[in-house]
Amino acid sequence: MAVHKESPSIGVDEWVAREAARRDYPPGLRGDVQRQLARVGWWPRLAIAVAIGAAIPQFGLNVFQLQIGINALLLAILAVGLNIAVGWAGLLDLGYIAFYGFGAYGFALLSSNQLHAPHGIHWPAYESLPLIIVAAGVLGLLVGLPSRRLIGDYLAIVTLFFGEAFVSFTNNVAPSVLGGSNGIFALDPIRGFGAQIVSPKGYFYLLLILLVATVAVLHLLDTSRTGRAWRAVREDPLAASLMTIPVNRVKLMAFAFGAMVAAMAGTIFASQQTSVFPDNFGTEFLILIYAALILGGAGSIAGAILGALVVEITLDGFLRSSTEAGYIFYGLILLTMIVKLRPWRRLGGVLAGIVALGFAAHAIVKAISAAAVAGGPQSTGWIHTILQDWVIVPANKAGNIPAAFGNVGFAVLICLLIALVQLKGRWRTILMVPTVYLAACVWESRLIVEPSITRLILLGAILIVVMNARPQGLLGRRRVEVI
Amino acid sequence: MKGRITVAAVALAALIAAGCGSSSSNTSSTSTSASSGSSGKKCTASIGIEAPITGKVAVLGDEQLAFAKMAVANDNKANGTDITLVQGDTQLTPSLATTVTQQFISNPKIVGVVGPAGSQEVEAVGPLFGRAGLAFISGSATKTTLTNGSNPTFFRVVSRDSVQGPEDANFIIKHFHPKALMIIDDQEAYSQGLVSVMMPIFQKAGIKVDHESVSQSVTDFSSLVAKITPQMTVAVLPWQVAANGEQFGKNLAEQHKKVTIVGTDGLYSPSSFTIPGSYVSSFGPDITAIPADASLVQQAKAAFPKFGTFGPPVYAATHVIDEAIASACKSGTPSRSNVLAAIKSTDEPSSILGQPIKFDSHGDLINAKWFLFHINSAGQYKLVTNS
Amino acid sequence: MRVFVQELVNGLTQGSVYALVALGYSMVYGVLKLLNFAHGDLYMVGAFIGYFVIQWFGGASALAAPVPIVLLAMFLLAGGGVGVLGVVIERFAYRPLRDAPRIAPLITALGVSFLLENTALLFFGGSYRIYNTSSFISFGTGIHIGVLSIDIVRIMVIVLAVVLMVGLRLVVNHTKLGRQMRAVAADREAAEMLGIDVDFTIGATFFLGSALAGISGVMAGLVYNSVWNYMGFTAGLYAFTAAVVGGIGSISGAVLGGLLIGLAQSFITGYVSSTYTDLIVFGILIAVMLVRPRGLLGRVQLQKV
Repeated sequence: MAVHKESPSIGVDEWVAREAARRDYPPGLRGDVQRQLARVGWWPRLAIAVAIGAAIPQFGLNVFQLQIGINALLLAILAVGLNIAVGWAGLLDLGYIAFYGFGAYGFALLSSNQLHAPHGIHWPAYESLPLIIVAAGVLGLLVGLPSRRLIGDYLAIVTLFFGEAFVSFTNNVAPSVLGGSNGIFALDPIRGFGAQIVSPKGYFYLLLILLVATVAVLHLLDTSRTGRAWRAVREDPLAASLMTIPVNRVKLMAFAFGAMVAAMAGTIFASQQTSVFPDNFGTEFLILIYAALILGGAGSIAGAILGALVVEITLDGFLRSSTEAGYIFYGLILLTMIVKLRPWRRLGGVLAGIVALGFAAHAIVKAISAAAVAGGPQSTGWIHTILQDWVIVPANKAGNIPAAFGNVGFAVLICLLIALVQLKGRWRTILMVPTVYLAACVWESRLIVEPSITRLILLGAILIVVMNARPQGLLGRRRVEVI
Repeated sequence: MKGRITVAAVALAALIAAGCGSSSSNTSSTSTSASSGSSGKKCTASIGIEAPITGKVAVLGDEQLAFAKMAVANDNKANGTDITLVQGDTQLTPSLATTVTQQFISNPKIVGVVGPAGSQEVEAVGPLFGRAGLAFISGSATKTTLTNGSNPTFFRVVSRDSVQGPEDANFIIKHFHPKALMIIDDQEAYSQGLVSVMMPIFQKAGIKVDHESVSQSVTDFSSLVAKITPQMTVAVLPWQVAANGEQFGKNLAEQHKKVTIVGTDGLYSPSSFTIPGSYVSSFGPDITAIPADASLVQQAKAAFPKFGTFGPPVYAATHVIDEAIASACKSGTPSRSNVLAAIKSTDEPSSILGQPIKFDSHGDLINAKWFLFHINSAGQYKLVTNS
Repeated sequence: MRVFVQELVNGLTQGSVYALVALGYSMVYGVLKLLNFAHGDLYMVGAFIGYFVIQWFGGASALAAPVPIVLLAMFLLAGGGVGVLGVVIERFAYRPLRDAPRIAPLITALGVSFLLENTALLFFGGSYRIYNTSSFISFGTGIHIGVLSIDIVRIMVIVLAVVLMVGLRLVVNHTKLGRQMRAVAADREAAEMLGIDVDFTIGATFFLGSALAGISGVMAGLVYNSVWNYMGFTAGLYAFTAAVVGGIGSISGAVLGGLLIGLAQSFITGYVSSTYTDLIVFGILIAVMLVRPRGLLGRVQLQKV
């Protein structure tokens, strides 16, 4: 019968707060599920996850879906590695992508015709990988050295410089060795002990094994003295140093481990792409890794993996096809309304209102001008037939949808959403009806015509909404920062 | 709350089931809609286009996409086919190009691909396309080694760096006799490829070369312009972004430097780059100057008013695949293998590029031309010479 | 000598643009301890607003009103518009996260940045929009000393930047609002207990910082002519760097950092080689940070125990 506390209040020691939360579970279904999950140990949970992951390719996935899986696993490994420095040790490492690039370029130089032309060096994977990983660890130590004098955002800047300097370096310095902006290509696949991995399925399994191994090692670290030291340094470095924790050494270790994980991911990435280019390691990708980690919940391994899956599958999986993106879009709106609108009759009223408004508006506009509704919804299949007489999608004579309608509609939609957040009560319910209808119209007439741009807009929107709803990330734990 | 979550979960499951179910019945619904519209059986296929639709060079991708859509619309009307275009955004990066390529390969309806735009991307995805037997035609990848046999299903409708680079360099030497010049690359593979071809030629002619390098996101060149000595009479800008070339010219005027700009096809843009006295080379002709293209030019201006030289080659590439699909349809259903064979035997007597289209055994365009334009004092492009 | 002065002017111009954006970064960081990654995109929005003002007046070659009026309209509309946008963003994206661990608003700022950049791409396309400043302010006007010539647009940019920086300093040090901003920056809870309206103060800070970014966007458009939807990314990066190197939270530091970076870029391009400019600039900045960890003009951060 423990009373559930809402959140730790400022000023209360975090350990005490966590102790209380540890003993009780939230009421209702979530608490039941958590209690059942807690009875399963960590290692059995890992085994279950591995089994699920290994079974996925057996469902007859095509090459594209396997590629998404590979990308997701790479992103997951990177997020888990970033979690060490950012989530566990509380250091903002904005140059993390450089370690990824270091691993990739290291592999490229050791497994191609680049050095010692014309035959080059072609070490098998079991020789090059350990060397690269150890070298990356040393590099991580070097990059972490400024952390002795710099704290917080100043450290972030120096690591950011390092990241940018890496891209600039590989682009401009020694083009005959590093390939310049042409990169290095024709790399060997992962090869060793007579076998080699070429197919996407093989890479999927290889990455799965590596992810599991990394997660296992990191879990052991997390529950060891080192993990506790990291957590102590994150919460309060001064108190940690008073407790005889060697703060500088602990920070360096965080950098080094993160670098090693990233370099390992880099080598597999290079061999799968069979080439490396400086563009692969720019800040844009770093932002994705951060988004994946924080979305999933910094400080939690499962959170990092979940965040990576969400980011990758949203970006590449769903939003590349108009129809499937439509399912996601309409599905999400429906689900949000189902979950959020309290009495059933209110939900029913809103849905009925939206449907009625749609048909009415469509009929009225059609009567005024046929061209204004000449375009149809972009999705195919049963959604198309349902939406045809409902959404307003203008089209001109050539069949092109004018962008102006969609752009203006999009701007109005943003204003309506802001207003929706401000209003409360009955007015909010009433405003929901035209807002959802306008969203559908804008989606069909503009957003889904440009799926490549829309998926980035949606990623930005997801980040904003999820962070506002749950700042600790999906699987993170709430913490209070003493600034 | 429990009930609500259950309802939501049931709705989600229903949606997923409907989604999976209808995606398998998708093919049947599109074919019924196609056959119900016309009396005969329509030729249905898909073409993928890989272009930098977002990212730093989104303007190029936009133009390529617009021209590809035009080509598909025109050819569908002319041949009575039902070809759809599937877009894939690569942001000009090889890793995204790999993902998009895998997406296209695993979509059985796609029988041909236009793009990718960058030579690096072609290098990254060439083996993938080769293994899948899927033909891909690029309208802008000019690196010479792409057609040396490592990409068996690769074609291109533009000439190679090994043509454009030396032709430009020799023209400069013959025409200007400069004592010194400045050549600036934009830190991308396209630019660095051209620079590496041109610099030895200049050095062999005894010209002092100042090799500089700025990234594409830099939009102010005053610092570089201040470095130009009176001896330098030519500035070579093998850039991809025409607006930057215009800005460079403005900086020159601002500091009263008398330097002639020589640019390559990336700078060709009658709307963005109009510095009088400059020379621009191009692998594509100025289609506004080709009388046979008049109606296409009008169509293009309506779709994408400020087009340059990146659109027309993509139109040509898309047209080649459209024709290949149409001819494959005549003898059955289009598949990747017969479309590939049809492309190999393409023999178009004329095209939007103002020249016939025929590929050699490596995938290069036979007689791919190189054009050199001069910008007169009114800012208009006038053809000077071509190969 | 001529090259030196030219590079100096270039560096000052570039540095002024960076400095104004860095000021906004610093101000927002000061009150919220938030690294607002969307700040560079506000600069981009300002540049676009300026472009559309020119178009509204008839286009660069055929302005319907005298040039000073057009310029004034551009600056006011860009400053005001972007300021309002900044306030709206703060209200809806950052305010709920005031008490969350600092990394959460960081990611939200990234989300806002994605949203702004790609909405601009959706609305305006990827083409570069050209201000074409030389059409209405010809190259002839400016200072001419012998063979040296400094364009009037650059002079205007530098002067305007100085005026704005001095104005901001006056506001922060000598007005009531400035006092409130400094109080909130020092200790938000204590300021609230003293009766300061924290929400309003933070909103005002965002307005000022964003307005500065918007105005510097117009300035960048005037000098560099090219406006496109990803231009905020690089500028934001350098401005962020400038703010931190100068000592984050310090206004004079942001200005100093911006000028330092602008001058470094200019001189290294001019005298060393443009290929290695980025690398050398980064190297210098790393060295500065290592020698003086709190930034050039930053205050020693007392650790709260």
